[in-house]
Amino acid sequence: MAVQDTETDSRLAVDLGAGLTLKNPVMPASGCFGPEMGTLFNLGQLGALVPKTIFYGERAGNPAPRTAESPAGMLNSIGIPSRGVEHFLTELLPEYTKYDSPVIVSIGGLGIEEYDRLAERLNGEPGVAGLEVNISCPNLEAGGMEIGASPANVERVVRGVSDRFDGPVIAKLTPNITNIADIAQASEQGGATAISAINTLSGMVIDVDNQRTVTGTMTGGVSGPAIRPIAVRMVWQVCAAVSLPVVGIGGITSTKDALEFILAGATAIAVGTANFTRPTTMLDVIEGLNTYVQTHRLSSINDIRGQLEEGMRVAIEPPRPATPVAGRTD
Amino acid sequence: MTSNLMEADGTIPVFAGTHVPQLRLPSSVRLEVMNTNGAHTPDATFVETEIISNDEIAPEHYLMRVRSEALANGKPGQFGVIRPGAATDVHPILPRPMAVYQYDTAAGTADFVYRVVGYGTAAMAQRRAGDIVEIVGPVGRPFPVADDANGILIVGRGIGVCSLTTLIDAARHRNTEIYAVFSARNKDVVLGKDLIKKARGNALYVDDADGSSDVRNVEPWISEIIESGRVQQAYVCGSNRLIELTTRLAAPADVETYVSLEAHMACGLGYCHSCATGAFGESAESPLVCRDGPVFRCHPAGVTV
Repeated sequence: MAVQDTETDSRLAVDLGAGLTLKNPVMPASGCFGPEMGTLFNLGQLGALVPKTIFYGERAGNPAPRTAESPAGMLNSIGIPSRGVEHFLTELLPEYTKYDSPVIVSIGGLGIEEYDRLAERLNGEPGVAGLEVNISCPNLEAGGMEIGASPANVERVVRGVSDRFDGPVIAKLTPNITNIADIAQASEQGGATAISAINTLSGMVIDVDNQRTVTGTMTGGVSGPAIRPIAVRMVWQVCAAVSLPVVGIGGITSTKDALEFILAGATAIAVGTANFTRPTTMLDVIEGLNTYVQTHRLSSINDIRGQLEEGMRVAIEPPRPATPVAGRTD
Repeated sequence: MTSNLMEADGTIPVFAGTHVPQLRLPSSVRLEVMNTNGAHTPDATFVETEIISNDEIAPEHYLMRVRSEALANGKPGQFGVIRPGAATDVHPILPRPMAVYQYDTAAGTADFVYRVVGYGTAAMAQRRAGDIVEIVGPVGRPFPVADDANGILIVGRGIGVCSLTTLIDAARHRNTEIYAVFSARNKDVVLGKDLIKKARGNALYVDDADGSSDVRNVEPWISEIIESGRVQQAYVCGSNRLIELTTRLAAPADVETYVSLEAHMACGLGYCHSCATGAFGESAESPLVCRDGPVFRCHPAGVTV
């Protein structure tokens, strides 16, 4: 007994670049979604499907406990368990391609070469509509942040993937950096066709009674409504820094939240933590956006993208040095 | 998964000195993932429904009754993932996994019994009859129930009793004799007595306050029932000592033992991967409590299956 289908208004269609068009701008955030959700509702209603990040080979993920609740949010240190790319192609991908929505495959790696190998393996595979390059997981023993926080490494990884994969390449950025605009520009230079932002913020939850962290690793990634204002600000910065379409991610639980990201400049949005809170959140947002374009008589949801009235700006990042700082190696 | 046997935490490699085992299982017990085809819980539904009642039934313990055909038709040992607050609340953000305490298929209701231990369950206790609650369920692999069993043994402690109580009706409908050990901190919080009474089951109620819950007191009772051949299955939840005891006594008599496990989880369906059972260091992820459990078969350590 699945939840009733939601009709998408044709005015919700968006273009994520490189031929990736979506019937509506709503998709799941990688890691907060799986084919199991298809038992609850028809996944073909979504703008796109984004499975959990895969690695080239098999990995177990991090020790349990892997999640902890935090105020209006949660901390996770799942560590991306993966059965590897071959298992994904034979067992999981068919679970997604049976729906009428493009599948954007999220890829990860412990080193730069792993991204190259994955891009090469996935190139030309039917059903793979695009790649999301996860260069932003805060819970890996290597790779992840080391790559995602360095503009030079980001450019190298994204270039490696775009050279090997003939289709849309979306770079997923970490917020755990000084200036996200630098990372967004490095992605653009590397050949990304879109950006998604943000991944989780590195955080920590301590069990004071037992004097240890609540998760099996010391730190994890914070997600949920608690981080939404940070995510909206970062998406706004990214949109100002690059000319690529952006997928806004971070604590979206409602249509109003989704609209914040679209007004900040996002072309599409992804729902993560709220899928756990209420599995039909994405359908609620699609329905809410339907109503929005109708009541505001918009010809397209794109009409309001980035339509933000300018207020006074205050400095939100340290000033860029005029000349490279001595010893800087990135 | 190369093996469907999972090591208890005594043998789990330590991860960077910070590994906190999620499941503190006795090292004398090994768990087996039951062979069920398909990883999904095919009958899971997202339910937005009315709370019929939400009353305190024992100190700190509440029973929430909800109206739902889908939940009312669940199987013994399955659970629901319940959003503690209202649809507009963003805190607590995660739903809470809770075993179904009792089904009433005819009335189309399901009951959940919970103990208020944190802000999530405290928020649940604030909900009122007529409020709308959001639940994903029924989920999880159920307890196997044999149609031809003469008798079953149910061993539970504390709130863990509430993961076993759906077995009582299942046994009653099959004319299977019920033997139960229900343990708690004190007599006020021994749960499920009314269900045992209604089913005319044989029960030993024990508690810590008078010392009767001591394993040395419980062991002869369980031992006698198992050795006399009166039960073919045993089900246990809520206490490592009781899991260990039941597994140890049941195995030589070929009585199948099943345990229901509890873990922190976010989705209840298998896609968040929060509730991995804890084995780390192998190439494959360890079984998930929600998708591969919460019911697992118990074997004494050292037994290969």
